[in-house]
Amino acid sequence: MFEYAEFNIGPWGWEIAVYFFLIGMAGMTFVYAAAPAVFGNIFGGVARSMEPFQKVGMLVALALLLICGPLLIFDLGEPARFLYPILYFHWTSPLSWGSLFLPLFGLCIVGFLYALSTNKQNWLKPLGILGMLLALSMPLYTGLDLMVNQARELWSNPTIPVLFVILSVSSGTALVSVIQLVRGQFDDKTAEFLHWFLFVAVATTFALFLGEWVTLMYGSEELQQAWTIINDQFWVQFWILTFLVGILVPLLMVAIPRCCRSAQLFTLAAVLSAVGAYNFRAVLIYAGQLTQIYY
Amino acid sequence: MAVGLQAPPSMGVPGKKRWAMVIDLRRCIGCMACVCADKAEFDVPLGVWRTIVKVKDTGRYPNTKRHFMPRLCNHCDNPPCVRNCPTEATYKHEDGFVLQRHERCIACRTCIAACPYNARHVLPRNRDRVKIGGVVDKCTFCNHRVENGLVPACVQTCLGRSRIFGDLNDPDSEVSRLVARHNVVTLKPEKGTAPQVYYIKPDRVNTEQILSQPVSYAARSDAAAFYRHNRGSKFFSGVL
Repeated sequence: MFEYAEFNIGPWGWEIAVYFFLIGMAGMTFVYAAAPAVFGNIFGGVARSMEPFQKVGMLVALALLLICGPLLIFDLGEPARFLYPILYFHWTSPLSWGSLFLPLFGLCIVGFLYALSTNKQNWLKPLGILGMLLALSMPLYTGLDLMVNQARELWSNPTIPVLFVILSVSSGTALVSVIQLVRGQFDDKTAEFLHWFLFVAVATTFALFLGEWVTLMYGSEELQQAWTIINDQFWVQFWILTFLVGILVPLLMVAIPRCCRSAQLFTLAAVLSAVGAYNFRAVLIYAGQLTQIYY
Repeated sequence: MAVGLQAPPSMGVPGKKRWAMVIDLRRCIGCMACVCADKAEFDVPLGVWRTIVKVKDTGRYPNTKRHFMPRLCNHCDNPPCVRNCPTEATYKHEDGFVLQRHERCIACRTCIAACPYNARHVLPRNRDRVKIGGVVDKCTFCNHRVENGLVPACVQTCLGRSRIFGDLNDPDSEVSRLVARHNVVTLKPEKGTAPQVYYIKPDRVNTEQILSQPVSYAARSDAAAFYRHNRGSKFFSGVL
């Protein structure tokens, strides 16, 4: 059989998958670090367990942001024009909004660090609230960036931004757990606080994964094709690294009370969920492009 | 509703033009003259195309058929690439062209991701004559020729007069008459993009998404290798 077709590039490679992962992680790290200042004594003061993490968390969020920014800029074909999305702001493009929120998020981190170091307590709460909104907008806009592509049905799905926010909770929790474990500050209160977030995040990811699965199996032509591509080319990442390692195992671990009491086991569950969070995003990004390349 | 475009859809708007192309597949012989004309008109580099002709065989010997499918930017009336561009580098002309401002493009490749027709590409930097590189490019419906009363280069050169170009808002134009007379088909109409390239008598094998995946071993290997080596900034092994 003779076939002849030319292909144009798959636009987004590993840089975008890594960027989506790291920016989500940075956002959630900020949320944890700012939680004591924002929530204070609300919810029985459980957020106070993060007080020793405030400064370190902000520095880590800033470091991640300093990795994310250049990663995104050097992925551009014209890196020198990286300010154009702000200078020529286009309100219907999520990427423009993301480009605007990214530096604002950075400013919030720097402002929060400044307030911490100069002991300006009354600055912390407003900066924390603003920063948290911007932090959550990071995974939200990355999801929207995919969702608005009506032509790619694997992406054009209203659950994608929600999924990306939830995945950032998992990966952020993993990073905070590892840091607190290494610093020897993973006490019972920290475990209680982080456990709640991880449990909700992994359980929601499980539900969204099932939703994605059903949608793919019962979907349109394009979704059926995407389903074939995922099972053909990305099955290890999708079934093993995302579903088994990244969702099922951590969900079982956080559901078992004995595991939750052990800082090491809890951190392991969180890290596994972060592995799933990366791979889930990567599969969606890569496989979502192939249907288009074939057409 | 079309939002985020720099010009509203011009289809049916009095006093405006709505440039469109009709491709009569009964007349296409797969000579690729359109591809060559386009390459010559714009010095399109190796490895990228503004227009292509896809070829597929179906059936088993002796009952076989070869299908040709010329493809190009559909200059949609509701183009998702324009809506998604973060710098308004890609924009909609009031006469329906979807165009690209190279000097504003950052090559974030969001427009490539948004395009349902895979009609956009990134220009490599190592070009000899035209120095535009590292930005996204696409078919322009040869607006520089059309604005001077000529037809696009691919239409001019088409041997079988398979490609016909004109103003759909003019009821006396050839494209209007063809669209009115024939059961024309647009690609992926369900995406809501209102594409303005109309096909006469296309075959399912070339229009349906589920049949678009490469079938032969050679084509599948080619597609897999291409994707492996040409995604993201690895385009042309890092030339981008």
